[in-house]
Parts: sequence; structure tokens; C-alpha cells
Amino acid sequence: MKYAFFAGCLIPAREPQYENSVKKIAPRLGIELVEMEGTNCCAPFSIQSLDYTSWLALAARNLCKAEEMGLNIVTLCNDCYESLLMTNTILKENKETKDRVNQILADVGLEFKGKTDVKIFSDVLYEDVGLEKVKDSVKRPFTGLRVAVQPGCHLSKPKRLHFEQWRGITALDELVEATGAKSVPYERKEACCGGPLRGVNDEVALHVAKQKLDSIKSAGVSCIVTVCPFCFIELDMGQIEIKRHMNEEYGLPVLSFAELLRVAMGMDLEDWELKAHRIPITGILGMTEAK
Amino acid sequence: MHEVANTPRGRGVLACIQCGRCTNSCPVSRVEKEHNPRKLMEMIILGLRSEVLGEQLPWYCLSCFTCLDRCPQGGDVGEVMFALRNLTVREGKIPEGILAQAQSLFDNGRVVTASRMASIQREKYGLGNEPTVDVEAVQKILVKTQFDKLINKGKRSL
Amino acid sequence: MQKAVAVIGGGVAGIQASLDLANRGFKVYLVEKNPSIGGRMAQLDKTFPTMDCSICILAPKMIECSHHPSVQLLTYSEVKEVKGSVGNFKVKVLRKPRYVDERKCTGCGICSENCPIEAPNEFDENIGVRKAIYMSFPQAVPRVAVIDKENCVECGLCDKVCPAGAVNREQQPEEVEFDVGAIVVATGYDLFDSSVIPQYGYGRFKNVISAMELERLLCASGPTGGHLIRPSEGKIPRHIAFLQCIGSRDRREWINHPYCSSICCKYAVKDAVLIKEHETDSKVSIFYIDMRAFGRGFQEFVNRAKSEFGIEFVRSNPGEISEDSKTNNLAISFEDPITRTVQSISFDLVVLCPALIPSKGMPELAKTLGIELDNYGFVRMEDSVRKPLDTTVPGIFCCGYCLGPKTGDIPDSITQGSATAARVAEVLASEEAS
Repeated sequence: MKYAFFAGCLIPAREPQYENSVKKIAPRLGIELVEMEGTNCCAPFSIQSLDYTSWLALAARNLCKAEEMGLNIVTLCNDCYESLLMTNTILKENKETKDRVNQILADVGLEFKGKTDVKIFSDVLYEDVGLEKVKDSVKRPFTGLRVAVQPGCHLSKPKRLHFEQWRGITALDELVEATGAKSVPYERKEACCGGPLRGVNDEVALHVAKQKLDSIKSAGVSCIVTVCPFCFIELDMGQIEIKRHMNEEYGLPVLSFAELLRVAMGMDLEDWELKAHRIPITGILGMTEAK
Repeated sequence: MHEVANTPRGRGVLACIQCGRCTNSCPVSRVEKEHNPRKLMEMIILGLRSEVLGEQLPWYCLSCFTCLDRCPQGGDVGEVMFALRNLTVREGKIPEGILAQAQSLFDNGRVVTASRMASIQREKYGLGNEPTVDVEAVQKILVKTQFDKLINKGKRSL
Repeated sequence: MQKAVAVIGGGVAGIQASLDLANRGFKVYLVEKNPSIGGRMAQLDKTFPTMDCSICILAPKMIECSHHPSVQLLTYSEVKEVKGSVGNFKVKVLRKPRYVDERKCTGCGICSENCPIEAPNEFDENIGVRKAIYMSFPQAVPRVAVIDKENCVECGLCDKVCPAGAVNREQQPEEVEFDVGAIVVATGYDLFDSSVIPQYGYGRFKNVISAMELERLLCASGPTGGHLIRPSEGKIPRHIAFLQCIGSRDRREWINHPYCSSICCKYAVKDAVLIKEHETDSKVSIFYIDMRAFGRGFQEFVNRAKSEFGIEFVRSNPGEISEDSKTNNLAISFEDPITRTVQSISFDLVVLCPALIPSKGMPELAKTLGIELDNYGFVRMEDSVRKPLDTTVPGIFCCGYCLGPKTGDIPDSITQGSATAARVAEVLASEEAS
């Protein structure tokens, strides 16, 4: 299973530990991630808000690169996923828009042909690798670990875009449970973490994060597992900020699904990776036992 | 209303029956009084152009698409929000935080560039360089779409 | 040409059609899949806007059906095969075994009193219980017991106590075949399963119920004898919310009921008034998109509900409900349309008014009859202007809600029943002439 690896901006630039975990677990699942050369930002929500055509052209450029490689493109970040998937869908379905975008891409020597598909890493694990193989790769399953899964808004919304895969949330639950942990349902699971407003309107973002964390807290879990790097920052760093501004503490460690699976596979997270988590995760990492 | 309907992603406003389910589902509406998707649709339908585009109203939106998924008319409220933001941007109104991301995109091809710590970590722990970016291609595209002009207009308004 | 008609579905529309046809001299076979006829109207407490007791006005018609010399009731039965064409259909019906001899049973009820097994009562929308040997409701027609073999533990108590010796555990399914000139489909509706939209908590939160469940709670023949209580702990609810359009008027692909179910606004107001009559101290709020109270007497009824009964009408459609796990109260966050601020209010009980969908089993029945269904699964009319009661197969007609949400209320279903009877008579008369 070979994919064009689109890491996005945020993960390589601010959360390299997420990338590290993904690169460590991929080979054990038979996934080959081919680095893409000369990509550009996927054009997430903030850029889409500025200009429609700029968004499509920028996102399409990445799709063209994957087409040139003859591979499907896989993202780690929910925002990249939404941007590339929506662009792919719009350009595949709307000839007029596609022609307009291709006119711009012609300037940089590219043409969108609609020959690639966009996937997010968790879907690759669920659909292409398969739950059985993921379970087999687990050598040190978690025991007694109650997890609140944070799928992130763009994993399964808008539903009509993900209609075939909108069980994407339950797929993530099953993947988490394959590591031995228990995915605990909680009320505001589909709600947003507030991440997109970080740096734009921090106050609102934090209040939204608080609603999410309150709901997670009442479910009685030991940690939060994320897919999207924005969710990670907002829920991890967010807890520190909420403690400072609103005097409320949760003490809920946050980690990405890739890190969870990596530990369950029997690998240890390195010191620098542990330090990247503002709420310490060492406590839950010990909750495993040999198979 | 027709101006918004004819802006890309804005067509959904024509379907609005003012049922209020969007506002009742929106995570931001619960915490921020200013943010009210139903009211924004109402203002568009009533033609209150300067009120809608004059404020920072559409910028409270998280683009979480909850409203879009709940709208019984398939009204794509979340998409209309993008159209609104595109329109306010053309008027020159861009929040500072977004402007900073846009500038970074134009200068570096990415909205976020590696922090010093991340660069050190990448080198030290064998992650290699950040994936290569073709900044020239990005700038070529963004000049053609006149994105740079939008950024400048936004900077002047601040 | 057979001067006989098969009516499939023993709800109010089917009953009316049967009686009209029988009174015209046709032999009528009334086939009903449940143990008793009566359908949805029998489940209701009161009808709108007159607030008549529903079963009180239906029961006489049900009795007439059972006593009419020209009507043969085939209850607990389903149509299995239909051959032939208009004027001459051969219908095969499978009678499911009641394990009780219909000729001997007097409907005294001693068997149920002694039965040790309880099971969810389908007639009460599964919120009440019945025994493993039971009659669906007090006014059931025919008044004959039926054994639910799945839950029956074969203890033999009912066999012993039955004064008529009517229990017959050896009873086999019976195939009945007869010839008719025409067939009438009157299979009514089912309620959309609100748990398909998980944000409303139906099926998860104890105090979120469907409107039909509310009817059974309010009805004197229901599981609580007509006392309105909360499912979670049995306390009387003080603050009740109705949520309209749960699944109706919804164009989203995975729901696909863009139509208005046409009776929910009316019955919600009726139920709200009923609640206020039961518990005068309670506060009732109806959350709606539009208040569709068309027809004679309904807008006046809505106005009365506001002015006389103090029912609150809130023009705002909630997107989600959350539950306080300690109190089982529900919190609804909504924008107050007057102050235009978003607020969260706590309710003891939430009633969902779900979309009304075709009866379960319609696709199979349609295949058996060879009739077409529309894209929502309702019966497709041959021609909505010239032949609005004809299905796409000549000789097969329909009436009532199985045609879709065209019915405004019970009188409409009755009218359609009569109209279909007239249509059948007309078609068969011309068949006879030719």
C-alpha cells in the first residue's frame, strides 16, 4: 500500500512527534508513505475564507502532484483532509470550475485530471489495512484505559461528503479499541474543539474548548485521543489556558491516535515526544501489558 | 441576498426558512451572543448589506459544519459563511490573526512555519527537513488570483 | 366477476371502506396483520379539534364490522399471494396461529390475568406490558386472545383456567384462499424512528418519548391508566416540550422525508391541551418551524391553546438535546425568537413529533400485489387528478395514510374510505356490464 504522503503545515512545523509516530507505525502495517516534493499549504479554513479560487488552485496543486506520482494522497490532519477532499470533489463534479482552475494551474505547469483519491490516515488503517491486521500489530495492548475519542469536525462532516465513510467516527472507535483501550461515549463527541479560532478569537475558542472538555470530563475517562493536530493543541494547551483564565482543571492527557497505536505496538515514546504534551501522558502509557 | 447566492458557496441562503436549527446547534452561539447564524441569514435575506459585511460577524464561525449537517433544507449554512467571509474580505475586512496566516502563506507557501524547537527536533531525531515547498509556484498562483491584492487591502484597513 | 372485495388494513380508512362496501351488498374480506382491527385511531386518546374520545367513536364501527353479515374479519393475517386481474383476483391469505380457538374464546380475559409472563405491549408502543397470552386493548375486535409463542414459557396455566377450553397449542398457520373482484389497500403509517437522528437522544434518554408513546400515557386504557408520568422515575412532569418536524420537512439524504407529515402540528397542540387538562400546573412549550393548522376549526384550536390554556409556542427548531444524568431532565438550547438570545432551558419530559412513514411491510405487500410505490414508499396513485384512489394496477385501490401525507385528519381518512368504496363499486359495476 503506497500513498503520497501529505503532511500539511502544522504537524511538521509544530507537532513533529505526531509525524514521528506515524512514520514508525506505517511500516509495521505495510503502509509506504512516499514524501511529496514541492507541495504547498492545503489551504485550510482561514485561507478558504479569504478567496474561493485561490483555495481551489492551491489545493488542486497538491492533488496534481499526487496525480503525477500516480498515487492516492493521504493526509494526517483533518483540515488538510477537508480542503483536499472538497476540492477534489468540486473539481471532479464541476467542469466549468475545473477549467477555470486549470487555467491558473497552467501557469505553473500543472493540470488537474481527477485521477487521485484523498484519504485520511485513520481511514487508511480502517479500510485499506483492516482492523484485523491492526489488532495483530498490537503487542502490548492497553488494559483498563478509558478513552474519549475526539474525531474532529472534518473527519465526518459535512456528512454528504463523507456519506460513504461517515461511519468514520465509529471506525475510529474501533481502531482505538483494537489497541485494547475502551472508547467511552460522551455527549458532545461531534462538537468542535474550538481550534479554528485559535489566534483569531482566543476567548471564543477557549469557551468552546471548555464545553468540549466539560462533556469529556463527565464521561469519566483517563485521556483524550485525537486525529487532528488543531484538536490536539486546543485540547492539550487549551487545558493550561483554561486553568489560567477560568480556573478550571481537567488533568486529561491528550495524544494522537498514531501515538496510542505506537505504544500499543510495543514501542516507547522518546523523551522529547513526551515533553510535547502539556498535560503529562506518562501515567497512561504504563497501562499496558504484554500480549 | 442574490449577491450572496451568486458568490461561490453562497447558494444555500436561498433555501433558508428561518427555522433556527443552525443557531440552536452551533457551539459558538452558546458562548458568544454576537454569533447567530440564523440571524445572519435573516439579515442577508432582508438585504442589510452594510450591517452584514461591515462587521466581523462571519468570523466567529469555526467552520465545524454542524449547522450544515443539521439544516433540514440542505441549506449549507456553513458554506454560506465562507461566501460571507469572501465578501467581507473583498471589502477589506480581515481579522488580524487570519491576515497573519495569509501573509505567511504568500511569503513561505505555508500558513505555519517550523518553530525553532521543531526545526531542532526534526534534525536531532531524524525526521529530516520539513517537506519541501515550492514558494515560487504558490506566489505565481496567488498573484494570478489577486490574492496578494486582497491581503494588501486588508492590511490597509487595519 | 366477483362481487367481493379484499380490504387490506383494518384502520379507520379500511373499516370505513369495508362497511360502505358491505352495505352495498359486496362480500368484504377485511385482512389485518395485528390481532385486532382499529389501527392508529384505536391507540389515540382524543381526536382533534373536537377532543372526542377516539376509541369511543371508533369502537361502534369496529363492532359493526365484526357483526356485519357481509364482512369476514381475517385478523392476525397477512396477504401472501395475489393472482388474476380486475374482476377476478385470487387472494391467498396466511392466518397466523393464535393458539386460541376463535370460535370458542369468549374474550373473558381470565387467561391473561393468570399468565405469569409479561412482554412489551406493541399497542402501547412498547412502554407498557402485556401478558404472553393477551388481547391488545380492552376494546379489541375480535375479542379473542392470542398467545405470543416467543415469550410464552408453556406453563399451561391458561389452558387450565380457560372456562371455554379455547387454548389450542397445536394450532397451525392456516392458508385461506378466496376470490374477489377488487382489492383495497389501507395499510396506514408507522412512526419514523427518531433514534436515526442521535442528537435528540431518543432511545438513550429515558424522558424523550415519541408522540404515540405520549398518547398511550395519556390514554385511560394505557399502561398508567391515563396518568401522565415520566418514564425515568414515575414523577409527574411539570415542564414539557414538544419538538416538531423530527424527520419531517427534512431534505438531508440520509433522512429523505422532505414532505410535511401534515397532522403533527395538529396533534401536538391537541396533546399539549390534553396535558394541561391532566395537569393544570404544568408548563408546555411547542417548538416548531411553522404551525400548520389548516382546515376547519384548527387555527381556532391553536388560538384557544394559546389564550385559554397558556401553551407556549416557540418558533425555533432545536438541533440537539442533552440530558442531566442525575435528574434525567433534558436541556434544550435554543434561540428565543423574541429576545433573540440563545438560552438553555430544562424540561422534565420531551415529546418528539416524528415523520410519518409507510407501514413496515409495504415493500413486500407492494410486490405481492404488483403495485408501484413512490420514492418514499407510499402507494403511488395511477393519476393524482383523475384517479386519485387507484393504484397502478387496475382493480387495486387505496385509501388513508398509505397514500402518503395527504390526509389532514381522521375525517379525511373516513372520507377516503367511503370514496374508495364508491370507486370500487363503480369499477366493478362496469366490469359486470362489460
